[in-house]
Amino acid sequence: MSRLDWIVLGASLLFVVLWGLHKGRGAKTGESYIGGGRDHQWWLVGLSIIATQTSAITFLSTPGQAYVDGMRFVQFYFGLPLAAVVLSITAIPLFHRLKASTAYEILEQRFDLKTRLLAAILFLIQRGLAVGLTIYAPALVLSVLLGWNLHANILLVGILVMIYTVTGGTKAVAWAHSSQMVIVSLGMILAGVMTAHRLPDHVSLGDALHVAGGLGRLNAIDTSFDPNNRYNLWSGLIGGFFLMLSYFGTDQSQVQRYLAGSSVTQSRLGLLLNGLIKVPMQFLILLLGALVFVFYQFHTPPVFFNPGPVKQVMAGPDAAAYRNLEAEFAQAREQQSAKAEAYVLTRHGTDATAIAAAKADLQQAHAQSEALRGQAVKLIQKANPGTNPSDTNYIFLTYVLSSLPAGLIGLVLAAVFSGSMSSMSGEISALGATTVVDLWRRLRGGDPHREVWVNRLATFAWGCFAMAFAEYAARLGSLIEAVNILGSLFYGTILGIFLVAFYVKRVRGGNAFWAALVAEVVVLLCFAFTPISFLWYNAIGCILVVLFALLFQALAPALPDAEVPVPTT
Amino acid sequence: MIEPHHEPPPPLMGTWPKLYAAVLGALLLCIILLRLFSRMFS
Repeated sequence: MSRLDWIVLGASLLFVVLWGLHKGRGAKTGESYIGGGRDHQWWLVGLSIIATQTSAITFLSTPGQAYVDGMRFVQFYFGLPLAAVVLSITAIPLFHRLKASTAYEILEQRFDLKTRLLAAILFLIQRGLAVGLTIYAPALVLSVLLGWNLHANILLVGILVMIYTVTGGTKAVAWAHSSQMVIVSLGMILAGVMTAHRLPDHVSLGDALHVAGGLGRLNAIDTSFDPNNRYNLWSGLIGGFFLMLSYFGTDQSQVQRYLAGSSVTQSRLGLLLNGLIKVPMQFLILLLGALVFVFYQFHTPPVFFNPGPVKQVMAGPDAAAYRNLEAEFAQAREQQSAKAEAYVLTRHGTDATAIAAAKADLQQAHAQSEALRGQAVKLIQKANPGTNPSDTNYIFLTYVLSSLPAGLIGLVLAAVFSGSMSSMSGEISALGATTVVDLWRRLRGGDPHREVWVNRLATFAWGCFAMAFAEYAARLGSLIEAVNILGSLFYGTILGIFLVAFYVKRVRGGNAFWAALVAEVVVLLCFAFTPISFLWYNAIGCILVVLFALLFQALAPALPDAEVPVPTT
Repeated sequence: MIEPHHEPPPPLMGTWPKLYAAVLGALLLCIILLRLFSRMFS
């Protein structure tokens, strides 16, 4: 990294922290600390929602996903606009009318205390674990590729976030989010423009897209219905809808963002803005990955982008075999580059048969180099069976560090840090709020005069927990993947509780509670013993809670009624 | 559609149902465009 990169990175991070501190002044009560003064305009709500959802790994992993697997990942977000509309109609007016500080408060009004506590504790478990990974995963990538100290990286992100989040609460988080989104957008747009610019002179953007498409990297829509296929139109629309409904409707890290809106209108517009922007935004990030893929059609990439496991192979008995593979791979990629050149030049002509033949040649050359890459992965896994065979998270940053000019590298790294900070701040702020409102205030009675300081203490404690878990995550190995899909293991159940609360008015508290417990056990059994893709757990968990609640209600209708009337929208 | 009576109309599109329809229409348009994009360059 050049001095200019350090200046850009340092100045960006300093600006985010100072901006968050400056705009977050004035929280005098627990309510204003958690609710952000409830005066946010729609654009601030929208940016804060997007920033919380967008972690650093989104920017590191998504372009790599397009490089390895094409653009079908975009389908994951198709459920989001549907969920935004449903929540705008139902949940947002209800939360505002009840002046709720957390999503779980209304469950006690509808059911009972134990159901509220169950949902709040499920949230604290899954979000508490996930927030550690939010800062661990990008810190690991940066430490491997840049040689930075992993622990120092985690500490830096954690401390920067806590400075403004603990001090200013939700308002500071939202304003810091707005500055982070500017940095992130600027970094990704400039990286995309520069990538298109760095293609060979005779390769136009249209040529590049034809090369990417010819090699299966622009397959954005897959209409086949296969429950074991992670990303297709139906898993995105159905499974994604349930996931997004749960994430935006019942996850306090998101609910807190739109509850800071000054009115129902401002909260709704903020959420709908996210629904409108997210799919095109993910498409552009994936397109950037597809362009990086094309860039590497004309330049030789490493066989495996994560240098850590490669070093392990090189230190073992298979070093010679790996070196041979590297040489074969370089040769294969040279031939592939020649085929790509030939395909582009042939496309400039009008002979359809020649174009089809050149495309088939390129596809064959690509298949050969991919086969060599597969052999390299096998050697890597042989050297260390616990190694993650995917190098997706390392592709984009490797490209950035080796191919982008000074200054832009610093900006992209600032975007990565901003992503880490934006997610962590939204999450620890929500964890602190849930701890205070649903546990401390509800069970201990609370004290309005001390609440702002209790909130700060809880947010600080969750920040420390996140950093400690991030430090521990290095020892989790392959369990990290399980933690990553943890959200889907719990979201469906939490969503089911809320759906029963909103729409199935005859179900009473005890039945909803037990239905949620049984449904959660079934989801965990599905995770342990079936190959069902994780997106479907959201739908399964949710539907089971509703069905079990109805069943238990039918079997035990004599349970005491809830004392508080059912909330209506 | 459940609409609170006291809620003012959105600043765009005139009514909330029209705004929701616009968001869903944008999703449909995205899916169609992505399908065309995939086919055009495959």
